[in-house]
Amino acid sequence: MARGKKTSDLKVFGATLQGFAQACINLNIVAGAKAENLLGEIEITGWYAFEKLREIEGVVLQAYENSAPILERVGMEMMLGWYNFGPGKEIIKRGVDFLHFQTGSQGYASVVKGPEELVGSFNLEFLDDKGGRARIISTTPFNKDLERGVIIGGMSAPGDLDFVDVKNDEDPQVFQIEFA
Amino acid sequence: MSLERFLESGGVPGKGDLTQEDLAKLFRKYRGLQKKHERDQAFWSATNENLRIAYEKLDEKERELAGTYAIIRDDLAVASRIQEALLPQVSEKMAAELEVAVYHKQLTEVGGDYYDFFSTCSGNYALGVFDISGHGVSAALVMTYLKAQFMTVLEQHDSPRVIVDWINNVSYEFLKTVKKYATVNFVVVDPEALRYVSGGGFGLLVSGSYNTTFEKRDSFLGLRRRAFHEYELPFREGDLLALYTDGIPEAQNEQGEDYSVRRLNELIISNAKRPVREILDHCLADYMGFRSKDSDDITLLIVRKKA
Repeated sequence: MARGKKTSDLKVFGATLQGFAQACINLNIVAGAKAENLLGEIEITGWYAFEKLREIEGVVLQAYENSAPILERVGMEMMLGWYNFGPGKEIIKRGVDFLHFQTGSQGYASVVKGPEELVGSFNLEFLDDKGGRARIISTTPFNKDLERGVIIGGMSAPGDLDFVDVKNDEDPQVFQIEFA
Repeated sequence: MSLERFLESGGVPGKGDLTQEDLAKLFRKYRGLQKKHERDQAFWSATNENLRIAYEKLDEKERELAGTYAIIRDDLAVASRIQEALLPQVSEKMAAELEVAVYHKQLTEVGGDYYDFFSTCSGNYALGVFDISGHGVSAALVMTYLKAQFMTVLEQHDSPRVIVDWINNVSYEFLKTVKKYATVNFVVVDPEALRYVSGGGFGLLVSGSYNTTFEKRDSFLGLRRRAFHEYELPFREGDLLALYTDGIPEAQNEQGEDYSVRRLNELIISNAKRPVREILDHCLADYMGFRSKDSDDITLLIVRKKA
């Protein structure tokens, strides 16, 4: 962590936070009063301390011994919501557009703000559209299983791709993407 | 026929029906499904494992809860025995002068209905029937507190008004703090009369052909710092006194109708010549035939002055 910069300076956009919470509710990871509390406090257009997202993430991490596939599914569910009920359809028409959207970290920059060192980046480093390969490097503070789900969900949402696979098991920050 | 047509119709393509491009698309779709299947399997496996852990935790909590419940149940059984032991017995001396029958039932193991027999400092008998707000342990604790207060003050006074005033004054802050109050029907039996204080609860005197219900102008114990009033009624041989809480009159039948004070009083009056035990049994039989279920603690005390 950068010296002098506090994690409380890091802010996450309300819609992202709400998308995350809503995905947890859709997947029945949280229910009842806990779910109402999660959603009740979030304004879509507000900015929230990143710890708030960590709090919700903590719900999953505490509940599941093997949280990786769950967080991956939460990421996918989040992006389905983003595409079907959020601005997604306006921004991407094809699965590969989601990768383009990450060029220069533009997609990520719209939902997280704060000191550069803490914000990090989520950047499309390489794309071979015809060969169906791409690579995204992520230095964000987000959970990497969640981010894997975000990429899978974002690329699958338009429904034009027959195949999407994302691997980051060698280096969690490097997402190797295959698609067709 | 295109690949999409084959997929829609469910028909199996023959040799040469699919182009190289179709086969490539099929391969991609197959890999896509395979990946989806892998991800689904990982998700459901994690979910299933989580369910197993949740069940184990639930089992553990159930065992803990059962243990805790057993402790509470045992404690309540002891508390119930203590509360029962705190209720008075009719002494031989009292039985020689008064014919007494009482029905007392708490809704739960312990409760807030309370009756007691005392002797005042002048040697007169005193009878009290109280209904402490709420049910359960808290009401039972207030009952023990009130009993202790009455035992203290009765050593010094004989007037029901002075006694109840004293109790109200010393208990007011405490009852306010614990958010409790109690109805009070307190009667001192003189040789030829009875003097009473009534703050809630119900009292009926049947004296020959005259029936008198208790004046209820005063408030409950612990509700206000206000002086109580004392009333006097003749109480001679053969006269019948009934004191009771709201457990019976406010009980309802299946139609939601109250049993009512009127019904109980009429029953007592019409059976007033019978022995008090029979009157009590008659009232209880009628009540039990009427009510759909008990919904409050019940106390019904019937006393007749003997010859």
